[in-house]
Amino acid sequence: MHLLNRNKWLIWLGISPSLIVYTLFCMIPIGISFYYSFQNWDGFSDPSFIGLDNFAALMKDQVFWSSLKNNMFVLLASVLGQIPIALLFALLLNSKLRGAKFFRTVGFLPVAISTVIISLTWNMIYNTQYGLINTLLKAVGLDHLAHNWLGDPKWAMLAVCLTIIWQYVGLYLVIFLAALQNVPAETLEAAEIDGATGFVKTVKIIIPMIWGTILVSVILCISGSLKTFDLIYVMTNGGPAHTTDVMAIYMFNKTFSSFQYGYGSAISVAIFVVSLLLISVASRLLKAKED
Amino acid sequence: MPHTITVPPEKAMLERDTRHSMRKKILKLVVYIFLTAYSIVNLFPILWMFMNSFKSDDAFSQSVLAWPKQWLFANYAEAWRVAKLGLYFSNSMIIGVLAVLFTVLLGAFASYFLARFRFKHQTKIYNYFVFGMLIPIHATLVPLFILENKLHMQNSYLSLIVPYIAFGLPITIFILVSFMKSFSKDIEESAIMDGCGPLRIFWSIILPMSMPSIATVVIINFINNWNEFSFALVLVSNPDLKTVPLGLSNFVGQYTTSYTTQMAGLTMALIPVIIVFLCLESYLVKGMTAGAVKG
Repeated sequence: MHLLNRNKWLIWLGISPSLIVYTLFCMIPIGISFYYSFQNWDGFSDPSFIGLDNFAALMKDQVFWSSLKNNMFVLLASVLGQIPIALLFALLLNSKLRGAKFFRTVGFLPVAISTVIISLTWNMIYNTQYGLINTLLKAVGLDHLAHNWLGDPKWAMLAVCLTIIWQYVGLYLVIFLAALQNVPAETLEAAEIDGATGFVKTVKIIIPMIWGTILVSVILCISGSLKTFDLIYVMTNGGPAHTTDVMAIYMFNKTFSSFQYGYGSAISVAIFVVSLLLISVASRLLKAKED
Repeated sequence: MPHTITVPPEKAMLERDTRHSMRKKILKLVVYIFLTAYSIVNLFPILWMFMNSFKSDDAFSQSVLAWPKQWLFANYAEAWRVAKLGLYFSNSMIIGVLAVLFTVLLGAFASYFLARFRFKHQTKIYNYFVFGMLIPIHATLVPLFILENKLHMQNSYLSLIVPYIAFGLPITIFILVSFMKSFSKDIEESAIMDGCGPLRIFWSIILPMSMPSIATVVIINFINNWNEFSFALVLVSNPDLKTVPLGLSNFVGQYTTSYTTQMAGLTMALIPVIIVFLCLESYLVKGMTAGAVKG
C-alpha cells in the first residue's frame, strides 16, 4: 500500500476526469442558478442585476406557495401511502411462501418502467369516456361516481398521487425485504409459531429491528417526492387551474413558457433549499431515533 | 388415575394441533388473497393496455374491457411509423450505451483510488461525490440549459450524454467504493511483490473482482438513462435527437384521436424494459436499494 500511495499524480489523474465532469455539470449549475436568481433575464437580451427582487416577488407569489403546498401534499401522500403499504406486503412476503419471488418481481416492476409510459397509461385509465375506472364504475352501476378524474380540480391531485404511490410502492417493498433478510431467522420463526395473534407480535418484534431502514426509506421518499416532475408534467402539466402544480413544474413553465429565466432560477434555488432543509430535518430525526 | 390423566392431554394436544393448522391454513389463504390483489393492481394497467393495443378504434370504443375479437397488428405498424419509434429507439440506445460506458469507466477508475489508496482530502472528495445523490436535478435544468448553450453542445448527442454521466457518477461511486473497500489488503501486497503497477492492479485484479457491483451500476445507470425525461425535455430541441420518453410524450399529444395506436406505441416502448428487467432483476434491485439497507 505504501508503495502505491506514493503515486500522487496518478491518484489525481484517476479521480480528476470524474471530478471535472461532475463538478462542471452537476455542481456548477447549482452555482449558476444562484447567480441568475439575482438577475432579471428573459433568456435573450442582456441580464440585469436586481438583487433580491426575484425572491421578494417569490415570497408574494400565490402560485408559488400553492405549488409548495402541493409538493408537500405529494410528499405526505408518498410517505403515508408508499411506506405502510410496502411494509405490509414485505412482511407478508417474508414468510416462506410459494411464489414469493413472483410476487416480488410483479411488485417491483412499476419501478423499472419509464415515468412517461406510466403517466400516459394512467391518463387512459383516468380517461372520462374510455377510462378503465369509469368503465368499471359503470359496470357495477355506480355511474354517478364516474368523474373526469384529471380534469376536476377536486380529484386531480388525488388521482396523480394515487399513480405516484402505485409507481413506487415496489421500491420500498424490495428495500424492506432486503432489511427483513437481515433479521435472524430464529426471531422470525418464534414469532411465526404463534400464528394469527402473532401478527401483532411480529410487528412488535420485527418493526423495531428494521426501524433504521424504515427511516432511511422515509428520507428517500421525501427526496423522491420533491423530485416529482415528469409524471405531473405528462399527466396534467400542473392543471386544472394550478391544482397539481408542484415547484418543479412551476419553475419549468415560468422559465420556458413565460421566458422568465431569472425568476425561474430563483424557483430553482428555492427547490434546492427546501430539499436540503427537509432532508437534513429528516436525517436529524433519524439520528435522534437511533440514539 | 394415571391412566385417565395421560390420555386427555394427548387428545387435547391433537385437537389443538388440528385447530392450529386450520388457523394456519386460513391465515395463509388470506395472505395469498392480499398478495394476489396487490399483483392484480400492479399488472392490470399494463395488461389492459396490452390487450387494447390489438383492437381497432371501433372495437375499443364499444368495450374497453372485452377481449379483442380480432388481434390487429396494424396499430403497431402505424405507431412505429407515426411516432418515429425507430429513430427514438436508436437515439436512446446510442445515448444510453455511451453514457453508461463512460459513467462506469470513469466511476470505476475514481472508485479504485478512493477505495484502495490513502491520500489527502480523500473523505472530503468521496463526500463531495456522494452529495450529488441529494441534489434535486430540477434545480439544475435551467442552468444546464444555459451552460450547454454557451458551450455549443446543443444539437448533438453530447447534450444528454454528458449530464447523464455527471448525474450517474454519485450512485456509481457510492456503490463501487463500498464494494471495492471490502477486499482484503493482501491482494495488492502480493501483486506488488509480483511487480504489478497500480494500473495493472486496477485492470487485471480489482476490476474483474468488482464485476458483480459493476453489473449493478451498469443496469441502474442504463435504466435511469433509458427512462430519463426532464433533461431530454429541456436540453434537446432537435427533433432528430429525441429519446424514447420524449418522443412518446410528443406523439401522444399530437395523435390523441387513436387510443389504440397510442397503446401500441407504449407497449413497444415497454417491451425492452420488461425484458431487461426480467433478466437482470436482482442487479437492478441491488442498485436501486443501495444505501438503504446496512449489511
